[in-house]
Amino acid sequence: MTHRDWVRLDNASNIFLAARSAADPKVFRLSAEVDHDVDPELLQQALDETYDRYRLYHAVLQSGLFWYYLQDSDLHPLVTADEQHTCAPIYQAGRRNLLFRVVHHRRRISLEVFHALSDGTGAAWFLSDLVNAYIRLRHPDSDRSPQLEDSTGAHEAPAEPVHGLSIDSFADYFHQRHQSPASGSVFSRAARSATSSFVNSSPSPADRWKISRLRRPADKKVHRVGGTRTPDNRTRAVELTMPTDAVLGLARAADVSLTMYLTALFFESIRISSGGLGRARTLAASVPVNLRQFFPSESARNFFATVRVEHTYGRGEDDLGSICKQLESQFLPQATHEALEKKLRWFIRVERMPGLRIMPRPLKDVILGMANRHSNRGLSVAVSNLGRMSLPEPADSHVGRVLFHVSAVRPQFCATSHAGLLAVSFTSPFVETDHIREFTRMLTAEGVDVTVAAERVTEQEIAEGRS
Amino acid sequence: MRRCPECSIAIEGAWTHCPLCAAPVVGAAVPSPLPTVPLTFSRRRLLKVLFLTSIAVIAGSLAAQLLLGHKPEGFGVLRSGWLGVTAMWLVVLMAVRKRRNVAKGTIYLVVLIGLVCVYWDYLTGWRAWSLTYALPIVCASSIAALLITVRAMRFEATEHILDSGLAAVLGLAPIVFLAFGWVTYPLPSALCGGFSILALVLLQLARGREVRLELARRLHV
Repeated sequence: MTHRDWVRLDNASNIFLAARSAADPKVFRLSAEVDHDVDPELLQQALDETYDRYRLYHAVLQSGLFWYYLQDSDLHPLVTADEQHTCAPIYQAGRRNLLFRVVHHRRRISLEVFHALSDGTGAAWFLSDLVNAYIRLRHPDSDRSPQLEDSTGAHEAPAEPVHGLSIDSFADYFHQRHQSPASGSVFSRAARSATSSFVNSSPSPADRWKISRLRRPADKKVHRVGGTRTPDNRTRAVELTMPTDAVLGLARAADVSLTMYLTALFFESIRISSGGLGRARTLAASVPVNLRQFFPSESARNFFATVRVEHTYGRGEDDLGSICKQLESQFLPQATHEALEKKLRWFIRVERMPGLRIMPRPLKDVILGMANRHSNRGLSVAVSNLGRMSLPEPADSHVGRVLFHVSAVRPQFCATSHAGLLAVSFTSPFVETDHIREFTRMLTAEGVDVTVAAERVTEQEIAEGRS
Repeated sequence: MRRCPECSIAIEGAWTHCPLCAAPVVGAAVPSPLPTVPLTFSRRRLLKVLFLTSIAVIAGSLAAQLLLGHKPEGFGVLRSGWLGVTAMWLVVLMAVRKRRNVAKGTIYLVVLIGLVCVYWDYLTGWRAWSLTYALPIVCASSIAALLITVRAMRFEATEHILDSGLAAVLGLAPIVFLAFGWVTYPLPSALCGGFSILALVLLQLARGREVRLELARRLHV
């Protein structure tokens, strides 16, 4: 019997374990809509194929005295019909199960992932390979040319399975002094954290001081969105589909990025739906930034940092264009190589603090949980834009919308675009959809065609849906 | 596709009212891309309440027994029955709670049963039957039980190896009782100690490397 490979879970991933709750199991879903009803058997074959190449996805989560671990397993994933609500819990302490699932419903192939395993970009790689494998099986004829290309080496495919357990992007980028015992294996290479190659130049005391200055000022009270919890704590997901070009045109007209334009719209819709915000007049959003853009990494593990942007109403100009500009001017300096590097160094320093390392894991959970609650108090909403998805051929021409849902502790939206369709998926632990209504009406008022699909969450809605 | 004239949006799925503004919708329905999932109710909260209540009642019962004195003459059928039920409840509760990890559950049970026996012995005037007979029997049985379970359930080494090792180490405790002269009859403790030493030696010979790797993993700082 061989000893299983394992890698330690980094703090960035640990926080998902500490922060998960009944309403927010820290699961996200990526779905691709194909041009026919999904064939479960072919999808299973495609999954088997893809799963073999993604060693990281073989991992189960185990706990040690000081850390959680991702450990290699022999488990085998099964494709199932989509019978649970979106982003249903995956990880349950004490159970050795895989940290992802693949489900299908009508034309959709959905990949759901526990966030401690991977982030949106990592999961997008898996999904695009899965969908591509599926489309190749479904349309064997379309397969010829890319295969030929592969065999001649024109298309550079990884010679051996990558995406294994070991690439913890954070550790990879910064430092890898403490290599896990299995650091040479496929699993551990694939699962290593991504920060581990970033080391050795420790920041000056002045830099440390600047990091501590990132704390928010105390005088601005952040508006937090409340509501009625869904009856069984499921995530209320509402998908808005619209032509990408139309919305991009609006963002360009405001001279800001799409993400910041949508964030400003989100702020406006919260303000309108809450009837003017009341006394807490600052809205703040957390925006994850994919660090692979700045620090190239092959790791499918979590490798992102969040940037916080905010707007206080009643202090200067409050029209949409001004909010857009303000948000963009806050976002851009935080999303540079230097700023993110500073953030990462801070992460790594915390990760390596001796006092924290010898702290037993349950205590770490409590502390990370408190840190998470503290940061939640400073946030009204969250926004995540995965950007334009590009799928390999033949999948690309058979896939329409790609959708991205995240279980949420606060109202949130995730955007992604494919095939000229921008899908903005709102998720929230609350039944209310007022902010989504305002958001949609602002878009339709600008002449954008919006199609809405919503998860049924209340007893009445479900009864209507089943009749 | 259905449309909401108020929001001027198209709606996927057979909604009779707009999911955003609740106004009546018009047009023909198309199927929703999202399934309609019936409400589910998690029993987790209920189980948690039951567990905590049970622990409170068990702890209360054990404490109450202490208040009623610890002389053999005051310990009648009623108190024996009460203590028996309490102990049984505790054991069942822990066995159910730890059902997903049999090896770890066994360790929990050995420790709990050992403590209950010692406490019971104390309540009935301390005749050292717990240390002489009960503990050696429980410890030795747990090692045997783990040996059988591990084979029967085809566990992976990583799942049980440390717990099996721990069970064998716990089995050394009766040797300590013997050394300090806490027992009234030496044979059970000696047998249990010998059995544990044998188990530890075998574990070291057959799986020494795995034990070390597993310890390194679990204790990794």
